[in-house]
Amino acid sequence: MDKQQEYVLRSVEERDIRFIRLWFTDVLGVLKSVAIAPAELENAFNEGIGFDGSAVEGLTRVYEADMLAVPDPSTFQILPWRGDRQGAARMFCDIVTPGGEPALSDPRQVLKRTLKRAAALGFTFYTHPEIEFYLFEPPVDGQTPKPVDQAGYFDNVPRGTAHEFRRTAITMLESMGISVEFSHHEAGPGQQEIDLRYADALTMADNVMTFRTVIKEVALEQGVFASFMPKPLVDGPGSGMHTHISLFEGDRNAFYEAGSDHQLSPVARQFMAGLLKYAPEVTAITNQYVNSYKRLWGGAEAPSFVCWGSNNRSALVRVPIHKPGKGQSTRVEYRAVDAAANPYLAFSVLLAAGLKGIEDQLELPEGAEDDVWELSPAERRAMGYEPLPASLSEAVAVMERSELVAETLGERVFDFVLRNKRAEWEAYRNQVTAFELQRYLPVL
Amino acid sequence: MSSREVSYAQRLRRSGVADPARAERLIGEIEVLTGATVDDPPHALSYLSDPDVGLLQLLRVAEAAKSAGALDALVSLRGSRAGAKLGVMLGGSVALGDLLVRHPELLADFSTWPAEDDFADLEPRTRLLTAVGADPGSEVPIATVTGPAGIAAMRVEYRRLLMRVAAEDLLVSTPTRLFPKVAGALADLAGAALSAGLALARAGEPDYAATRLAIIAMGKTGARELNYVSDVDVIYVAQAADGIDEERSLRVAARLANAAARACDSMGSEPALWQVDANLRPEGKDGALVRNIESHRAYYERWADTWEFQALLKARPVAGDREVGEQYMAVVSPMVWSAVEREGFVESAQAMRRRVEHHVGAESDRELKLGPGGLRDVEFTVQLLQLVHGRSDPSLRVRGTLEALRALSVGGYVGRPQAAAMERCYRQLRVWEHRLQLRKLARTHLMPRDEDGLRLLARASGFATVDYMTEVWQDIRRDVRRMHLEMFYRPILPVVARLSADEAALDDDAARARLSAIGFADPVGAQRHIAALTSGVSRRAAIQRQLLPAMIGWFADGADPDAGLLAFRQLSEQLSESQWYLKLLRDSLTAAERLAKLLSTSGYVTRALLASAEAISWLDDDADLEPRTLEWLSAEADAILTRSDDPDQAVTALRGARRRELVRIAAADTLGRVNASDAGQAVSDAADMLIAGALRIARHVVARERGELARTLPFLIVAMGRYGGREMSYQSDADVQFVYDDAGDGSNDIALALAIQVRTMLQRVGSQPSLAIDADLRPEGKSGALVRSLGSCAEYYRRWSDPWEAQALLRARPCAGNDDLARAFTDMIDDVRYPPKLPQSALKQMRTLKARMESERLPRGVDPRRHLKLGPGGLSDVEWTIQLLQLRHAHAKDGLQTTQTLVALDAAADGGLLRASDARALREAWVLATDLRGAMALRGNARDTDVLPADVRELRILAEMLGTRLTGPELDDTYSRVSRRARAVAERVFFGWTVQA
Repeated sequence: MDKQQEYVLRSVEERDIRFIRLWFTDVLGVLKSVAIAPAELENAFNEGIGFDGSAVEGLTRVYEADMLAVPDPSTFQILPWRGDRQGAARMFCDIVTPGGEPALSDPRQVLKRTLKRAAALGFTFYTHPEIEFYLFEPPVDGQTPKPVDQAGYFDNVPRGTAHEFRRTAITMLESMGISVEFSHHEAGPGQQEIDLRYADALTMADNVMTFRTVIKEVALEQGVFASFMPKPLVDGPGSGMHTHISLFEGDRNAFYEAGSDHQLSPVARQFMAGLLKYAPEVTAITNQYVNSYKRLWGGAEAPSFVCWGSNNRSALVRVPIHKPGKGQSTRVEYRAVDAAANPYLAFSVLLAAGLKGIEDQLELPEGAEDDVWELSPAERRAMGYEPLPASLSEAVAVMERSELVAETLGERVFDFVLRNKRAEWEAYRNQVTAFELQRYLPVL
Repeated sequence: MSSREVSYAQRLRRSGVADPARAERLIGEIEVLTGATVDDPPHALSYLSDPDVGLLQLLRVAEAAKSAGALDALVSLRGSRAGAKLGVMLGGSVALGDLLVRHPELLADFSTWPAEDDFADLEPRTRLLTAVGADPGSEVPIATVTGPAGIAAMRVEYRRLLMRVAAEDLLVSTPTRLFPKVAGALADLAGAALSAGLALARAGEPDYAATRLAIIAMGKTGARELNYVSDVDVIYVAQAADGIDEERSLRVAARLANAAARACDSMGSEPALWQVDANLRPEGKDGALVRNIESHRAYYERWADTWEFQALLKARPVAGDREVGEQYMAVVSPMVWSAVEREGFVESAQAMRRRVEHHVGAESDRELKLGPGGLRDVEFTVQLLQLVHGRSDPSLRVRGTLEALRALSVGGYVGRPQAAAMERCYRQLRVWEHRLQLRKLARTHLMPRDEDGLRLLARASGFATVDYMTEVWQDIRRDVRRMHLEMFYRPILPVVARLSADEAALDDDAARARLSAIGFADPVGAQRHIAALTSGVSRRAAIQRQLLPAMIGWFADGADPDAGLLAFRQLSEQLSESQWYLKLLRDSLTAAERLAKLLSTSGYVTRALLASAEAISWLDDDADLEPRTLEWLSAEADAILTRSDDPDQAVTALRGARRRELVRIAAADTLGRVNASDAGQAVSDAADMLIAGALRIARHVVARERGELARTLPFLIVAMGRYGGREMSYQSDADVQFVYDDAGDGSNDIALALAIQVRTMLQRVGSQPSLAIDADLRPEGKSGALVRSLGSCAEYYRRWSDPWEAQALLRARPCAGNDDLARAFTDMIDDVRYPPKLPQSALKQMRTLKARMESERLPRGVDPRRHLKLGPGGLSDVEWTIQLLQLRHAHAKDGLQTTQTLVALDAAADGGLLRASDARALREAWVLATDLRGAMALRGNARDTDVLPADVRELRILAEMLGTRLTGPELDDTYSRVSRRARAVAERVFFGWTVQA
């Protein structure tokens, strides 16, 4: 039993925890939870808790159902919304096979594996997501969701639900050890943005999963409904998860080089080149739902074309300008990811694309200075700004031929995602939408 | 020349002088220079390892002493023990002699040392810090003699103390006894040099107070078992001083660390001491040079590999901030002991063990350190045992090799005699290493190649002759590896199986820990089998007690150790009365090792051995494990048929011969002596032999019933499918078709009788395994006639046949029967299977057929992706793709006219019909699927060798059998990847689907 595990056991006893929730994530990024009693905890550390993996999306095939969830003691956290005494706590789990080997289909393992590859090159990978979401009135079946307010970007709404909501949510996040950097009302009615303070990618992916749960819990408590759906309103902007990325070599920011163009080191430029080159291939992961493409192609600030720019809000990859002397905070922002992505897989493919850029020493194309949306299609083509896939179907077709994604996800997850997404597309294609009825029924 | 003079020169020569005349001259010069006589030079020189060099060095030292006015100090050493030390040092170390020539003032040191020195008052840290003008009493000593002068002062002081250690070491009569003190003193000296280096570094770093840097020694320095010249392994850890931010602290600490290391290893007026090596730090040479404690902790918790914890076993703070050093140790030490619980520990423990036991990639034979039975082997054995048992027993948590060996012996984890023998070997190897390094203070672990070098080493280490030394060395190398086995496996045997009262026998928990560490999944069961095998007073039990320790190690090498041990128990019980069996195992290590490997890997072979043990006797002889050639087999079949009149007996004998060959091939295959495709050929050869023999018998039998035409009727058996391609596996059916040439009335009846007779003889249930004959690939398939005449075949193929039949003919190979008919048949089908042009309609039909097959032929409930034969990217994708190319192009390209898949594949690539990358993808998929099916057949526990198992443990075993180091999930991933790529090629090349942009 190592120190961390002992610490967890002690805390559970001291804090009188009655339930420990073991959390893990399925391939689609949905949080799964199994609760155990404190008496089971030691056994869970030593041997893991068995469960039927076939019931979880993408985890196993039906006939190899047995899987073990082994909690990672470093992720132990008391759940604040369960009250202080006799409460509940959670830990994230690694999924292993009965033979004790990491399950290749566990998204957390996918990220761990990719991070290990980065570590072999001497890099640590940090991310910092800006997560957007909507607050709606409690949903009524079949009706368009109704936002809780009509405010806009940075608006301060006096005694607004959203204001109170953000305050409670942030307090709760902080009490779970998740630092919030920034929060404000976003452009859409009822739309919020909360930025998490940067952390290593594994911790951050865990944090994103926790974040979604906390937001949903707080919303329920306050009688509203929170949604991370990429594009819930036809007329409102979509909810993205712009992700700031940096690589560190030891304690040094590997993206920073004083005096160079945009203060970007060659490593940063190669990394960005990798991101751009593989952007179409990874889109089915960073934007995994049919609905994702309505955000991606919904205009406004959505990054639909593969290009980069400094402070260009229409570019896919943006280099934020940081304060002078803050070389450590040099980073690049990848803007396609949406709020419904599986963070483990999304971070994995972004890192893999960037690392490939470094390994192959790719050359970064020239940056874009114009608003890419304003250009004519011919201009865009002439300038070499390729479009991202326009639909889930296209994205899956591009990903299917991607060695990079196959290798990063592992063949099993890769295969599952392909099948799952094709099925989703087919189900979607079967729909007759309100749009069609409205437009065609009266005249055809 | 007088007789006295001759005997003087002879005496000199006997004392080891190579050139007596020159020695006499040198002695004369020394006497003149010092004004003192040298007493009984032959006697004195006999103590020197290199008397010639010693004399020359003495003369040079005397000259230097004279010009430095230190001659008195030299002369006063005459006749004393201190003088003896000077003598042996000059003869044993050219480099230290040179030091005295540079610094004759150090001669005064000799008389100040204790006569029998145990280095108790060496105090290197105090002495070296004082030498650079730093206060040894201070927590943060700072040098006042700085720059190059400080570095030189530190190095001279270091060597001065080194000289003291070396002189004592070279003089004592039993250097192996002094060795721990020497190695400890050398480690302390290294630590002191780093302390002084740090004091020098602080003097050049105004901001030194911003950080609290500790230097942690790893490896031999950490364990206080350093040798004379070796890289000194370190890790740096720094905490920020109060009120200083982390970034600044680490920056300053990195500068200090660099400067301290440079003080030891940079070029200078005094030569460098040794290289400081910081590559054991987190992330190795790519990682930050200095980290704080928290960052170390985070790294080891999250990223570190098992070997990195092993390295931490020896960590010890040696210089810099004591408190930080201790905090670091408090954080990392517990992690070493939980390493055992980490994933991958068993694998890396096995890798270590294998390294000792097999010397994978054995280095040069002259290597004292890395060679077989060298120092590294001793260290690995000890560390591995420490890691396995140290988790539950804190008394094993010690740094040094000898300390650990003693703790293991005291704790009863290894036998006392074995521990003592291992310790003796280790000490002797280290003394040789030291002697070799001392000569020039150079980093070497190589036994000298030349006679002179060996002679000097023998003299330096107290061996009378080179031969004797070499003999002892060979003994040590053998002993180290034997002791490894004895120490590692023997104590697993229960108490009652001890060979002597001195033997260790582990308690149940410890024995189980060791069994699990080497890969037994069910250690309790293993213990039970071991107890059963070793208990009792029978001769069998006695021999097995001797054998088992080594066998356990070999089982552990196999894919499934538990199954191996169980099978061994079954076999031993079954053969308990067979004298030859135990004798073979006792006398032939090779046979015993191979048997262990077979039993722990292949269920197929195990069953065969249990059914008929004769095959065990082949294991001792490589020639017996060579698959027999078809000629050899045919000659044997011929002999059987010639001497036997009884058809039933003859067929049984042939079937027995085939069974025997299958065991032989499977054993060779399992032992990695043939690859899967060669095994496939050999299995097909055995079928050829049997079918040809059966046809001969059938002619005889049918002739008796239906007349003599049966003996002469031109009749042919054509191998089809995998059999035709000589790609059969152990359990394959033989696909064939029967053809005859019309030779008058009744030909068809006789041919039919022959075919039926052959089939019956091969398929009938009997004491020897049958061979299923499948004739479904004949014209018109199942509904067609079983036999056809050549003419009818030709007619049929010309007029009626479907494209799939032409495709099936690509694999047609006459395997038994009339040669002329074989030629005629081949010529006839060549026109069908290698057509000048493949019509579009045939192409379409083939593609449709294949597509339909993919959706219909797959068994229900099986994931198509795991189906090695019919799944996407499986064997049939590859084969159909190749066959399509053959149908289209073999007419023009002769190279494609073959029944073998890989041959055709290569020809297609060479002929430019396939891109090189496509050919590679197809080949890789085909070979992997074939290997997997072969491995599954050998494993012998799969219901269906066409489906990749879902159980990850089984997959790992297959991976092992394939000779890869993959885990189960990784093998699964690899197959998925390889087949995905092959599928993409098949879709493009076979189906002609173009990729949408």
